[in-house]
Amino acid sequence: MIVAASARNVAIVGGGTSEWGERDATWKDLAQEGGKATFDAVPGVGPDDIEGLFVGTVQPERFAYQSHVAPMVAELLGIEVTEMTARTELACASGQAALRYAWLAIAAGQLDTALVLGVEKMNLGREHMPEMQASMANVLDREFDGVNGLSAPPFFAWYAQRHMHEHGTTREQLSLVAAKNKSHAANTDFAQYRSEIDPEDVTESPKIAPPLHLYDCSGITDGATGVILMSEEKAREVTDTAAWITGSGQSSMAGNSINNLPSFSGWPQARKASQNAYEQAGIEDPLEEIDIAEVHDCFSISEIIEYEELGFCERGEGGQFIEDGRSQIDGDVAVNTRGGLLGCGHPLGATGVSQALEVTRQFNGDVESDRQVDDPTTGLIHNLSGSGSVHSVMVLDRDPQ
Amino acid sequence: MTDADTNGGNTERERVSVPDEVELPRLLDFYELQTEDQTQIHEFYENLRDGQLTTTQCTDCEAIHFPPRIVCPKCTSDDLEYVDLPHEGELFAFSEVRGGLPMGLSEHDVPYVVGVVDLGPVRLSGRVDDAAYSDLEIGDPVSLKIVEIDGPTDEERVFYRFEPQDGDSR
Ligand SMILES: [Zn+2]
Repeated sequence: MIVAASARNVAIVGGGTSEWGERDATWKDLAQEGGKATFDAVPGVGPDDIEGLFVGTVQPERFAYQSHVAPMVAELLGIEVTEMTARTELACASGQAALRYAWLAIAAGQLDTALVLGVEKMNLGREHMPEMQASMANVLDREFDGVNGLSAPPFFAWYAQRHMHEHGTTREQLSLVAAKNKSHAANTDFAQYRSEIDPEDVTESPKIAPPLHLYDCSGITDGATGVILMSEEKAREVTDTAAWITGSGQSSMAGNSINNLPSFSGWPQARKASQNAYEQAGIEDPLEEIDIAEVHDCFSISEIIEYEELGFCERGEGGQFIEDGRSQIDGDVAVNTRGGLLGCGHPLGATGVSQALEVTRQFNGDVESDRQVDDPTTGLIHNLSGSGSVHSVMVLDRDPQ
Repeated sequence: MTDADTNGGNTERERVSVPDEVELPRLLDFYELQTEDQTQIHEFYENLRDGQLTTTQCTDCEAIHFPPRIVCPKCTSDDLEYVDLPHEGELFAFSEVRGGLPMGLSEHDVPYVVGVVDLGPVRLSGRVDDAAYSDLEIGDPVSLKIVEIDGPTDEERVFYRFEPQDGDSR
């Protein structure tokens, strides 16, 4: 991909979050909490400054019985959008899609200040869990895949099974990922699961979809998180410590249903998307240059595959990578310091936004000291969506370059 | 405000109601409607009703598709024909769902096995009936079976599933 020489630098100047979890709150309540937290965290920016509003959310039609939600957020937060607004839907990457559109709009000179807000209301009461699961099963081809009762846990269980079969990845290595991320979340004040766990606890939790256990799975989560993106000129007026977007890549294969996936042990699109982003950001050796990575650990196996596809290790060596401790906070690359999806939960549309906020806060030294990475300068966020047919990668840096 | 405005006193409030239950609406049905007046891949479903799994093949570029199409994604031709697929294949991957049953799939009692079956020309997802996770291994031979679907329409509908070749059901 060619990045236009005229593209402007874009910064994430800050943001805020609601509490995540099983919340006694509606979609609209969450949107207001996330919006307020965002404006409170960025003193120089208020609703009057917002020219572009991008709302990442996956299934408000099914989970909140509401569509046309971007204008609803504009109303709730008192934003008169002068330039551009839309709700973005890309399943589990919806928040990152919103970030990517806001970045592009500012880089292209269409606007200077955007609010990106990710919101999801998923807990509808225990008795309505089957409705939630049905909605989630439809991110695959409903007619030929969803119809088989193929929800996310068995789908990602296949990847765990095939990765173990093809590469000798062990059950213990999966547990190490889950224990790392859930334990990180013990130091994250908004996270859904705030308890440290041991690897043995993972295999002692119920088998949800073997070989995956309950603790290998991310949560069903309500939450909202926002960030403010600004052009360089505006960003300099409000902060000295922004996270600059230096690369953003995305790749989708011509396939989303099961017959059209080339692999059940790898994600070629994650490799392509990250290579695009690295090229834009001038990154040649990701393991050497990236200090903090917020990656899409919807299931423990996902993070192992992502070590490989994002270029932190060779294909098939992701299990060894976690076993050697290289993705720990004091390792070669700190992966999922806030606790990932496994620890924070996964309010679909809010996840990508929360990842970007974590990297921004890490740059500022503004997270709980137990999860603070030592002087990070370069970060990455990654999300897959649906059947893993689409991958989105964004590189953030303390300097605009 | 007055008492009359709020009905806050002794006056009876008017009641409105919403239904306690609705029948599973067609729009929340996982299975597609299968007839010629509903879908342009009705021939796939007609062949399946007649006992044969088929899919489309492009007569221009010879690509075999699954799921069946009306336009070839390889060359955009719409000159496609239905070809037979094998009814026997190998289990490529599988898991067993033990909770979190999606609504609208009442025939899927948990636990149920769902897997990827390699039929040769295509590799597709499917239910594996009459089997438990602990009984299965990658590479196990499985056979296609066809099931009839009851409700929520009056239309007679069918779908495919798989079962182990050496299973009890044979
Ligand atoms: Zn063709």
